Amino acid sequence: MSVTAGLSVTSLSKSFKDLQVLDKVTFDVPKSETLVLFGPSGAGKTVLLRCIAGAVDADSGTVQIDGDDVTQVPPESRGVGMAFQNFALFPHMNAFENIASPLRAQRQPRLSLAETVDSVARLLKIDHVLDHAPRELSNGQKQRTALARALAAEPGLLLLDDPLRNVDAKLRFEMRLELPRLLADRQATVVYVTQDYKEAMALGDRIAVLDQGRIVQIGSAAAIYRRPANITIAKLFGDPVINLLEVVPEREKQAISVQVSNQQIMLPHAADDVIGRPCMLGIRPEDIAITAPDVPAAVPVSIEAETPLNEKIVSLAITQRGRELLASRPADVASPSAGAAGFLFNGDGVMLFDRESERRIDMQSDSGKKTA
Amino acid sequence: MSASILELQDVNKVYRPMRREPVHAVRDFSLTVNRGEIVALLGSSGCGKTSVLRMIAGFEEVSAGAIRLGGRDIHGLAPAKRGVAMAFEGYSLYPPLTLKENIAIALKSQGIGREQYEAKVRTIAQLLEIEDILGRYPSSVSAGQQQRVSLGRALIREAALHLLDEPMGQLEPQLRAVLRGRIKHFIKEQRLTAILVTHDQTEANALADRIAVMEEGRLQQFDTPEEIKARPANLFTGTFIGEPPMNTLNATARLEDNLLKFHLEEDVVLGYPEDAFATGLRDRLLELEQVTIGVRPHAVKLGEQGVSAKVYANQWLGDQSHVAMHFAGSNLISVSHEHVPVVTGATVDIAFPVAELHLFDSRNGTALSHGGDPVEVPPVT
Amino acid sequence: MQHQSVLENWLRGIALALIVLFFMFPIFWILLMSLQTNETILRSPPSMVFSPTLSNYQAIFAGRLDSNAASLDIRFLGNLWNSIILSVGSVGVALLFGVPAAYAFARYKFRGSEDIAFTLLSFRFAPPLLVLLPLTSYFQTLGIADTYFGLIWVYQLICLPLILWIVRGYFEDIPADVEHAYRIAGHGWFATFRNIALPLARPGIAAAGLLAFIFAWNNFIFALVLASADKQPVTVGALAFVTASGIQYGQIAAAVVLSIAPTLALALYAQRYLVEGLSLGAVKG
Repeated sequence: MSVTAGLSVTSLSKSFKDLQVLDKVTFDVPKSETLVLFGPSGAGKTVLLRCIAGAVDADSGTVQIDGDDVTQVPPESRGVGMAFQNFALFPHMNAFENIASPLRAQRQPRLSLAETVDSVARLLKIDHVLDHAPRELSNGQKQRTALARALAAEPGLLLLDDPLRNVDAKLRFEMRLELPRLLADRQATVVYVTQDYKEAMALGDRIAVLDQGRIVQIGSAAAIYRRPANITIAKLFGDPVINLLEVVPEREKQAISVQVSNQQIMLPHAADDVIGRPCMLGIRPEDIAITAPDVPAAVPVSIEAETPLNEKIVSLAITQRGRELLASRPADVASPSAGAAGFLFNGDGVMLFDRESERRIDMQSDSGKKTA
Repeated sequence: MSASILELQDVNKVYRPMRREPVHAVRDFSLTVNRGEIVALLGSSGCGKTSVLRMIAGFEEVSAGAIRLGGRDIHGLAPAKRGVAMAFEGYSLYPPLTLKENIAIALKSQGIGREQYEAKVRTIAQLLEIEDILGRYPSSVSAGQQQRVSLGRALIREAALHLLDEPMGQLEPQLRAVLRGRIKHFIKEQRLTAILVTHDQTEANALADRIAVMEEGRLQQFDTPEEIKARPANLFTGTFIGEPPMNTLNATARLEDNLLKFHLEEDVVLGYPEDAFATGLRDRLLELEQVTIGVRPHAVKLGEQGVSAKVYANQWLGDQSHVAMHFAGSNLISVSHEHVPVVTGATVDIAFPVAELHLFDSRNGTALSHGGDPVEVPPVT
Repeated sequence: MQHQSVLENWLRGIALALIVLFFMFPIFWILLMSLQTNETILRSPPSMVFSPTLSNYQAIFAGRLDSNAASLDIRFLGNLWNSIILSVGSVGVALLFGVPAAYAFARYKFRGSEDIAFTLLSFRFAPPLLVLLPLTSYFQTLGIADTYFGLIWVYQLICLPLILWIVRGYFEDIPADVEHAYRIAGHGWFATFRNIALPLARPGIAAAGLLAFIFAWNNFIFALVLASADKQPVTVGALAFVTASGIQYGQIAAAVVLSIAPTLALALYAQRYLVEGLSLGAVKG
């Protein structure tokens, strides 16, 4: 394990008083991979990152970096770089000194130190503000300075704690596209914390979903989006949120189907053991096509409201049984009908969850399906 | 009766801090809000939107100009006498009162009956999904819940105008989408007039009938979300509104071989038939020479013959793909609603149809044309 | 509009001047007294008109107090020197121990840390006289009564809790992540304390140090009981002006002016750091 893993966390637990923040967290990040820790606020992401950095001591469990057990090693000797959500710049030092601080700790000679700071500052386009104090920097520049400080000493392990949280939307977007290249060039092992699912999907080679101190799923963006382990995860990914309908699968001729409003939805890949089980049917808004009301296999609905969401139009509709359903489509696709309409479910996008355990029920087609 | 309820006329705000340069936070700001309308003041931090809101509420003095509410000058009145309800960004809940008492604090002075009181609070609590925490105190609930209570306290009041300062900034993302729809519905149903201050354009787009875009203390554009998106008045509005932001390219316009050609950096040329642009506009472009081309990421179509660009990132977000490219010395972003199978490092063909071009004067950012149609009315500068 | 704000500035200025005059009046009056002889001070009705004299200051510097009845040796300059040694010494010692302790209480929560911190604060609650009686006999046994060392030690009852509790608050206000960032950058805990925590808490340390200095300077009872004539600070030494033949108001006033001067100078100097602390503001980024 330690041969391949840049970072290896084993059974890490942490409590504050009576509150268990981390519960036997275990995962590996192979060298040069970016793992995104994703979860709602309070899931324990930030504490986990600080335990890896050594800023917070775990109650039990181990942290290995490049095969060395560093659980008892103080933060300054772990050789990691870290960027913080609130930047955590040293307010009494200018940007240059902030970026230089990890190099000063290594006692780099002055000349090569200035060179290193300059090159990383140029890379992040902040070389013109190196003599500014943090309070004179814009939020974007602060964020880049914090990132430069984390990168300066070329650490083998880079911990990024929601670094784009406090910058404006435009900059966040630019950085989201720029970061992967930057990180790939450095060949660093990266643990990236975020609570924005889009950022998680865009940046992670793999995503670890953390909920209430536990890792509930680890996988590629595509795997988590298309095959979420449970309802909670399904709801965390996707905007607008996934539609969930209470159903009980039944046998319909040769196939298994569920009833939505007064329409049978076929589940060609479901196994027999789901028949009669209380389930939740999940369908993402973009997997619903809006048709005329009389199209066969479409669920008849009445569209209540259409609201813009970025470049999409979200339609809120109510079925004949009074259930709310959301469908979304690109803004440049005209609405085929207003008022009465049909919602056609894309069969590949349909998910089935057990209502009691909230776990997703595997349907055979998933295992064979190529991920995007 | 007039449709307008609130009028701001040439409102200015100058802050004069001791021993420092005065700050002109709001400049000649004029705005008319109609009865029953939801208007969003949208801008980045420091653009003056909060100053405008605070002047309407009466927490800041107006340095120059007039504010009229329902035909009466209010800019000299104390906040309590203006008939305005406000939800604060920092919630400002009363710590010793329960959430229910916080929400109902304004009803106390109105002297309404017990039944009506309970009914009103219940409606608001259901709307904001806080029924189960009404008996608790502000310190024991999350920031998102406090914010909902603060919003409820403002919405429950009967007032000529409701001011909402970043009302949803702290809400849980899942809830935000649902609450946007519900709150808009509630405001419309109760026929309230609301001004919303936000830096989040998604929120402004979803809630507002019209958006006032602000930057550096000035009103940049005031129009419906659709119109601002389709016809931005200037380069600032163009690049500020839209997610991801509009791509921009600096170009030199020339007439060569009966084609209107835009010369970009790195010797890249975009050529269009002369008649694709109206005559007056074409002459204007040739006269100005230096123009900025704006193209929305959704309008950059990959794989269509035209010019080529090099991909440096391709990110799939479940329901859309973001492809970032190097093109003519700039970064160019394309968004599509399907999964795009290009890899980093690949070269792709892209096209810029005339219908998708926004042209701006490079010197001052003023919009010249949208999709080949010239801008007729000179916009606010 | 412009006109209005000019008028406003004037009115504000006048109001401020009135307030300053009201609060500064006793000090102003004492300054006037120090420039008069006992006769002009005690005349009735009092008058602002007099011919200023420096005789009071001369008497203090000469160390001789001449009154119409007798003349008396006073050691006021010696007292002033004692005050400086005791105040500077005790604030120095209190900073040396108090600042690291405050950091420990702010950053490392260990079992009983709150109790210890509170116990230290509770030293301030005890009536000084109650503490003094046993201390006097202890100090005499130990042979440190009537030494600077002993006095500075006792003065810690005043200075240490003050510095500990004020500075602790400032340390707690520094975001922990700023220190984490410095440690992760490769610096040990002591370097972090010295290069991050100390500079960022400097305004607080300056404020606490100044307050402790003023409290130590103004202390009367510890010195009265524990110090003999040659270790007495100004507060106790001023008693010498109450003579059998009357109270020497002029000299007292001059002595008061001289003893206010060091604290005032220190306050003006430290003000720079206090203001800097306010404008440093956004530590949180």
